[in-house]
Amino acid sequence: MSLLEVDDVKIAYRMPGDDVHAVNGVSFSIDEGDNYGLVGESGCGKSTLAKSVLGLLDDNGEVRRGSVRFDGRDLLDLSEREWQSVRWEDIAYIPQSAMDSLDPVMTVGAQIRQAIRKHRDVSKATANERVAEVFEMVGLDPDRTGNYPHQFSGGMRQRVTIAMALALDPDLLIADEPTTGLDVIVQDKIVDKLIEIQEEIGSSLLLITHDVGVVAETCDETSVLYGGKVMEQGDTDRIFGAPTNPYTIGLKNAFPEVDQFDEQAISIPGSLPDLTREPTGCVFRNRCPFATEECEGSHPALVEVDGRLSACHYTDRADEMRAEAADPATWGIDVRDEGDRTAGVGNAILETRDLEKWFRQPQGILDDLRGVDPDYVKAVNGVDLSVREGEIVGVAGESGCGKSTLAEVIAALQDRTGGEILIEGTPVDELLGEDTKEFRSRVQFIFQDPFDSLNPRQRVRAAVSEPLKIQGHDAETIDRRVRRTVEDVGLRPAEKYLDQLPTQLSGGERQRVAIAQALVLDPTLLICDEPASMLDVSLKANILNILREKADERDIGIVYISHDLASLTQIADRLAVMYLGRIAEVGATEDVVTAPKHPYTASLLAASPKTDPAVDRRRVLLPGEPPNPVDLPGGCNFAPRCPKAEETCRGEEPERSAFADDGHEAACYFPVEDVETELLERYAAAREEEVGEVVEDGPTL
Amino acid sequence: MSFRRFLIKRTVIAALLTLIAVSIIFATLRLLPADPFSALVASGSLTPEEVEQVRAMYGLDDPIYVQYLRYVENLFTFEFGISLTQQRPVGEIIVPALVNTLVLLLPALVVTAILSSLAGMYAGWNRGSWFEQSSIVATTVFRATPIFVTGIFLLIIFSYGLGWLPAFGMRSPLANPQGYVATYASVDFLRHYILPFTATVLFYSGDFLMLARNSVVERKGSEFLMLHRAKGLSEMEQLGRAGRNSLLPLVTYFALRTGMLFQGVITLEVVFAWPGIGRALVQAILNQDYPTVQAAVFIMALAVIVMNLTADLAYAKLDPTVETGDV
Amino acid sequence: MSGYGFDTETARERIRSELERAWRTLRYVLRDNAAKAGFAVIVAFGFLGVFGPYLAPYHPIEDTLRQGGSMMRLQAPGGKALFGTTSFGKDVLSQFLAGARPTLIVGLFGGVGTGVLGFLVGLTSGYFGGRVDEFLMRLTDLTFALPFLPMALVILSFVTPSVWLITAVLVVFLWKMPARVIRSEVMTVKERTFVKSARARGAGHARTMFLHVAPNVLGIGFLYTAYAVGWSIVAGASLAFLGFGDPTTTSWGRMLQQVFRSGAIRTAWWWVLPPAIGIGAVTTGVFLVGRAFEEIVNPDLQTEQE
Repeated sequence: MSLLEVDDVKIAYRMPGDDVHAVNGVSFSIDEGDNYGLVGESGCGKSTLAKSVLGLLDDNGEVRRGSVRFDGRDLLDLSEREWQSVRWEDIAYIPQSAMDSLDPVMTVGAQIRQAIRKHRDVSKATANERVAEVFEMVGLDPDRTGNYPHQFSGGMRQRVTIAMALALDPDLLIADEPTTGLDVIVQDKIVDKLIEIQEEIGSSLLLITHDVGVVAETCDETSVLYGGKVMEQGDTDRIFGAPTNPYTIGLKNAFPEVDQFDEQAISIPGSLPDLTREPTGCVFRNRCPFATEECEGSHPALVEVDGRLSACHYTDRADEMRAEAADPATWGIDVRDEGDRTAGVGNAILETRDLEKWFRQPQGILDDLRGVDPDYVKAVNGVDLSVREGEIVGVAGESGCGKSTLAEVIAALQDRTGGEILIEGTPVDELLGEDTKEFRSRVQFIFQDPFDSLNPRQRVRAAVSEPLKIQGHDAETIDRRVRRTVEDVGLRPAEKYLDQLPTQLSGGERQRVAIAQALVLDPTLLICDEPASMLDVSLKANILNILREKADERDIGIVYISHDLASLTQIADRLAVMYLGRIAEVGATEDVVTAPKHPYTASLLAASPKTDPAVDRRRVLLPGEPPNPVDLPGGCNFAPRCPKAEETCRGEEPERSAFADDGHEAACYFPVEDVETELLERYAAAREEEVGEVVEDGPTL
Repeated sequence: MSFRRFLIKRTVIAALLTLIAVSIIFATLRLLPADPFSALVASGSLTPEEVEQVRAMYGLDDPIYVQYLRYVENLFTFEFGISLTQQRPVGEIIVPALVNTLVLLLPALVVTAILSSLAGMYAGWNRGSWFEQSSIVATTVFRATPIFVTGIFLLIIFSYGLGWLPAFGMRSPLANPQGYVATYASVDFLRHYILPFTATVLFYSGDFLMLARNSVVERKGSEFLMLHRAKGLSEMEQLGRAGRNSLLPLVTYFALRTGMLFQGVITLEVVFAWPGIGRALVQAILNQDYPTVQAAVFIMALAVIVMNLTADLAYAKLDPTVETGDV
Repeated sequence: MSGYGFDTETARERIRSELERAWRTLRYVLRDNAAKAGFAVIVAFGFLGVFGPYLAPYHPIEDTLRQGGSMMRLQAPGGKALFGTTSFGKDVLSQFLAGARPTLIVGLFGGVGTGVLGFLVGLTSGYFGGRVDEFLMRLTDLTFALPFLPMALVILSFVTPSVWLITAVLVVFLWKMPARVIRSEVMTVKERTFVKSARARGAGHARTMFLHVAPNVLGIGFLYTAYAVGWSIVAGASLAFLGFGDPTTTSWGRMLQQVFRSGAIRTAWWWVLPPAIGIGAVTTGVFLVGRAFEEIVNPDLQTEQE
């Protein structure tokens, strides 16, 4: 008998007007000790499903059909009181955003203790011992149980929630996007920890995520969800090794590997199905390039293909579809002519020299008077970066490395504190001289959050024409250019969109409007700060394609800031990697990705999960977190975490050109030759030692 | 910013504010085109020569800046001078009035803060319920209606209509107790106390109820409550956590309200003839008794500034997530 | 500098869409029963404020009612005086009808003045931050520290009160409330991406402030204007009740002052109830509509309706 059996579950949310059918007849089961993955994009019903297993649906959500059996008892029949004893004792939950999931006015220790004492009749002291024990298990310092959540970093908070989930040795762990929003190296460490602990305590894991790579690497079995339906189900290796369902194929294609550079990004066109009515046809038919009339008529049943189940009327054509789907044209994407690319040969559009942005730290009045030098956070610390016509320069790095500050400083949204910025050879101060018009007509910006980057009170027409109005163009020119630009970013026909309010648009459409706002002035330099990071994978590629196209067509120079290495390698001609305000490595994308020289770059690249289950990747267990930017050590910033660091590294900071080879530069005295032996094995070894010290015997509860 | 630095900065600002407020009070009283003595001359009770003498006695002949400095010095040493109309030190008038006001209002405020906040939390947790809707409407009625109007209704019903409770003052005319204990610990006092106390409790209930209700509503959908629920906490325990997370704005608001206490219910003291500081102020204004007016207004201003400071500090101290610099 | 002049086309379109929104919002607010009742009271009050003096059967102050040659003192309702008479033989009904107007003027102009001034101060303070903010916020601290009613009493004891003077005094003391709330709201909106985006597209400060920030805090601005109308009515009535109202007009607050002063409050319920109920009903009406409106505009209360 399986531990958890979800059978034909239907869940709907009551909404004013129409009900939303979030989950439409999903079945799956998890065996004891298994890792099970639920994969899908936002709105596919995966979180709703997870919440229903814990009885945590919002007040307006109800399970309309089916059963959820755990250890033989039907959970849906439980009373609230019975639920309370099942929760955490049997099934524990690791929430999506550790940022908001911890009670801000309660120490983390007290929150874990509360979970223990709710279910076990133990003394406070015993509970505290257990808290310290689980803290050590997840690699947190047990002396910090008295701290409040805000005193921890994002990664550490996620560890706290994992520790909390372990407190009672539950039979099933439900992890809802446990690593979303974390940097890739932190993600790798968290997933590693999670799997290790779960194996140790022998519980099952239900992992919910949108990240195909994470599932492919951690789960034995998987269900791929779309529109509240299971599209493909079964052995993970089989599913992602050779997907048979058009949606799975598309999803996997939308997740490029880090080293798949220069391939055109593939996305799934269209938008999510309307779930206010119960689906009658195949939920994916509107976006599926292989859909026929038959798909209109009924949602296909799950049938067995190659040792897994797939819901498609054309499972017999799976191999054929897989081959066709690799061609962007199949998905209605214009195939780009790679010969167009003029990277690195045109005139320089942007040049920064020794650019600095230091934030002064507040200090006491007395220190001010005494003339004590204040501390600075050196968010951007001596950055040289150049962009040429038609070139896309990617800037990669973890959160807090200064990449967004760099972007805003270049775009004059923040003042710089040192260094120079030249736009087409002209110092930026000259351009900004009298008013910002001249500068803004040349340099434009695209922001991260499409859901917030448009004024909710402005219609598309007003939003896109505003930059032109500010520049003082006449009404007729404005109208013409607005239409042209809106169509140019793929919102066709323009009439359909011009009078819409942002709330009437999807995330992808909003981001296109934002891009139109930036392009309508025909800028020469475009700065993009994570423009696709908040969009679903299937839409991400769209944005990348538009930007690539504009760079090629209009010879625009683009600075593309992102933490997502896979998108960067697809779109960028050159790649710069930042660590703590400095560029650690820069060069042609292919050089940097295939032969990273800086240990940090190498670690970062190695930490990206692989969507191909056949690849056996060694996890990056880079110790520690980036140090406090106020109090940086002397010498190389990365030295304290670097297994290769020697005295020289700690003494003097390496020049960026410490390693230089045909435009490929790395600020490292001892460039990496072999990532596996020089870094990953040493990280793992270092951690083994650390783990060995952890106390084994704790009190049993 | 360290807490100490924050404390120093806030205290300095509060001191400066007090000084400016005091100066404005001084300017308002001195520069407005009227003179308390001209009325006395006009009514024939004093000759112009006598007025000159009195003016000299009160130091009103000195240059304005000397008067100002002396005035500031006196206020900050709590030397309020002699009342113009009652011929006794202002302190003797003000202090008992202040005590009477505090005895009435502070318990009322504490009671309403606790009861209304609890009711508000419960209402917020059960959003859309009958209890929520009716409690909001009921407290809004009392919050919106001017307190003296509520007072008048209470008087008409319980005092003049039903005759259950006395309408006037703090004790019956015949009672003449000595000392605070004898004054406040008596059934007679209690009977006079009930109506103004009730009016105050009702008046302030709305703000606390809405504040508590809104904070709980705001937190109800939060992720951390969901995790508490997932841990197996019961409904009441979850509400407890939501309430704990809503406590901060309530504490802050309580401090601010306490600061505004003396000025908030002047009309109430007039309606019930409660011998408090508000009523004393109104009488002093009507009698053009400068020193008493100055002292009363100064105390009211000082209370606000001190309690604002307390609220800021409480906020910085109580909320673990707020960096002191953000306040 | 660019961005200071707005084109009329944008402005007109803005105003039209704002009016549409206002209408939709009002309809939404009125789905709440308490708000519906409050709104009806406000409409009736507005009607009284405009037409009340013309409906009054007698002049509220000049006409003294007589019966058989003697003044009708404290006559209970009935006969010539539907609502009875005052101790000076004046008709209570006429005073009630005429008394709505000063209350309306003080409430409306005091409230709107407070709302507009507070909105502008809050917008400027929150948008620019830094020293501007520091200065304006210390100024609000100062107006908080100066006790409103006592200061108003002091000022009005020297100057002959008139409705407009009282209104001005109210605005001077009440603007701080909306200013603080608007400021904190503006500080949140200012951090939103679309505001940064407007700057990146080349919008100047005035344009960013009035076209991008202001419309998104307008709802809160209206809410506090509504509350300010309530506060102004309360404050105006309180001043009149303490004897510091405009001595030349009849207002509800002044009626209450007269009945209280004369001692007739013990018996003449017909003289007390109309103004007391009038004031209570109007302020309650304003607050009830305000509360329902707050449910829509307060972003913190939107958690469940996504």
